[in-house]
Amino acid sequence: MASLADSFLADLDELSDNEAYPEEENAEAVGMDEDGGEDMLDLESLNYDDLDSVSKLQKTQCYNDIMQKVEDALQKGTDFSNQGSILEEDPEYQLIVDFNALSVDIENEIIIIHNFIRDKYRLKFPELESLVHHPIDYARVVQKIGNEIDLTLVDLEGLLPSAIIMVVSVTASTTNGKPLSEENLAKTIEACERALTLDAAKKKVLDFVESRMGRIAPNLSAIVGSAVASKLMGTAGGLGALAKMPACNVQLLGAKKKNLAGFSSATSQFRVGYLEQTEVFQSTPPALRTSACRLIAAKSTLAARINSIRGDPTGKAGRNLLEEIRKKIEKWQEPPPAKLPKPLPVPDSEPKKKRGGRRLRKMKERYAQTDMMKLANRMQFGVPEESSLGDGLGEGYGMLGQAGSGKLRVSAAQSKLAAKVAKKFKEKSYGSSGATSGLTSSLAFTPVQGIELSNPQSHGNLLGSGTQSTYFSETGTFSKIKRN
Amino acid sequence: MSYLLPHLHSGWAVDQAILAEEERLVIIRFGHDWDETCMQMDEVLAAVAETIKNFAVIYLVDITEVPDFNTMYELYDPSTVMFFFRNKHIMIDLGTGNNNKINWALKDKQEFIDIVETVYRGARKGRGLVIAPKDYSTKYRY
Repeated sequence: MASLADSFLADLDELSDNEAYPEEENAEAVGMDEDGGEDMLDLESLNYDDLDSVSKLQKTQCYNDIMQKVEDALQKGTDFSNQGSILEEDPEYQLIVDFNALSVDIENEIIIIHNFIRDKYRLKFPELESLVHHPIDYARVVQKIGNEIDLTLVDLEGLLPSAIIMVVSVTASTTNGKPLSEENLAKTIEACERALTLDAAKKKVLDFVESRMGRIAPNLSAIVGSAVASKLMGTAGGLGALAKMPACNVQLLGAKKKNLAGFSSATSQFRVGYLEQTEVFQSTPPALRTSACRLIAAKSTLAARINSIRGDPTGKAGRNLLEEIRKKIEKWQEPPPAKLPKPLPVPDSEPKKKRGGRRLRKMKERYAQTDMMKLANRMQFGVPEESSLGDGLGEGYGMLGQAGSGKLRVSAAQSKLAAKVAKKFKEKSYGSSGATSGLTSSLAFTPVQGIELSNPQSHGNLLGSGTQSTYFSETGTFSKIKRN
Repeated sequence: MSYLLPHLHSGWAVDQAILAEEERLVIIRFGHDWDETCMQMDEVLAAVAETIKNFAVIYLVDITEVPDFNTMYELYDPSTVMFFFRNKHIMIDLGTGNNNKINWALKDKQEFIDIVETVYRGARKGRGLVIAPKDYSTKYRY
């Protein structure tokens, strides 16, 4: 089998080489002609682009190799299953890995044939390749349409969705393609048949892998089922490659490009790959499928990693992971807990206590008793007080106005609060000092010396602050009562 | 709605209910479940029982089944609601002249909650008589 695979890979390399460098190919052709055609295989590969019949032979040879490998593998598989459990895991696993490589090669071959069909059929129907993206679907449609001009006579039911069929029919009625010649049509139809045969062979390989999936990947099969497990392994390229893949990539394995045919993608379903076909995903409500897909992909990756190291051959870990998935999805569907009425708090709340602090001190300072009221509340001993109505009636003035000047005005004491306010109005202070009134003159008459200049500030100084005009003032003396 | 509230079936049970509560006010409705006035009162009691459960608990007593308190508290009206706090009967001045009980069907839930809050505050302060936040004297026009 290894030799067959090597020859197939060599053919694949030669094909890619031919596509990359056409000029060198011509040069080599000239050289080979000079040599006399010693190497027939190279000559055939060199003539691939020139002659379609040679490409058919090339394709036929590759196809025969593939079919032979498939038949040999299936026979060997049957032999191993007949023999029993002797050396069962290792040879079968190697077989599965080879089949995975083979399915990848078949996929590549289908793509090459699809390119061939597309190049041939572009003359007839150039818009078809943009409407039908899948290679197998494209081959079926080309085989069905053939050289037909009026597409209403062609029944595409079952090959494509109804919307795509409608778009294809409308586009065919306005296409500028020309019918193919008989030779080109025959080549195209043969290529389509070959592509479909390769697809059937690939399906056969996948069925074989699926039947062995319970033994190769028991935990992964427990979560997603053996069919999806075989598809995941086939697309990833083996169990080891699948185990190395992150979960977000596993989620998109098998996701096909959505063909909206010009319609809006706002309502189209999100991209889901093979995980969409699992039983857990299908039993989930549609609103939770996005989260469910991510959850299944994560657990599937864990299961694949368990299988890649052959950790649990019985599949118990996979069943535990599946149970965990089901519980989570069931938890998501639970309604939120009912909102209970909130009871009233205990109504024994007393008003908050007021302590000291900065704010309370400021309040006390603002509402403190003024110096004027302090003087009015005091009585000097032995001296009758003046009152607002005279003779002790009305409000008494106490010591207010008894300092000798005869005025009731008291200069305000400088407090911290007032000092701040005074700074603001410092610019506005003008004229004479505030201690003097507007009616005071700077000239005073005395009977002894005649005209004498007196300082009005001296009287103000006596009343500089309220405390100086009290008991401890300089002008205050002990009272003497004369006895008559 | 009387089936939503706990019932007391003996004099001993009533005494224990009043004694057992240390922190909460005990509200006892004396009457009959089948009586129309008691039905209206029980609607209000059942509706507010969950709201005031932090500071009050409500019990129902059938005065035919438990006749021990009929003479003591003069339970001759169809429906009687009384308040107890720490084994002490709390009186409330509702303006009706009868300070011992609420002997009509009080239909407003918020009014009942306000009365219970007032009784609780006064009882916590050690008062035996509290003044209701609303005057119900217009209930009687004679």
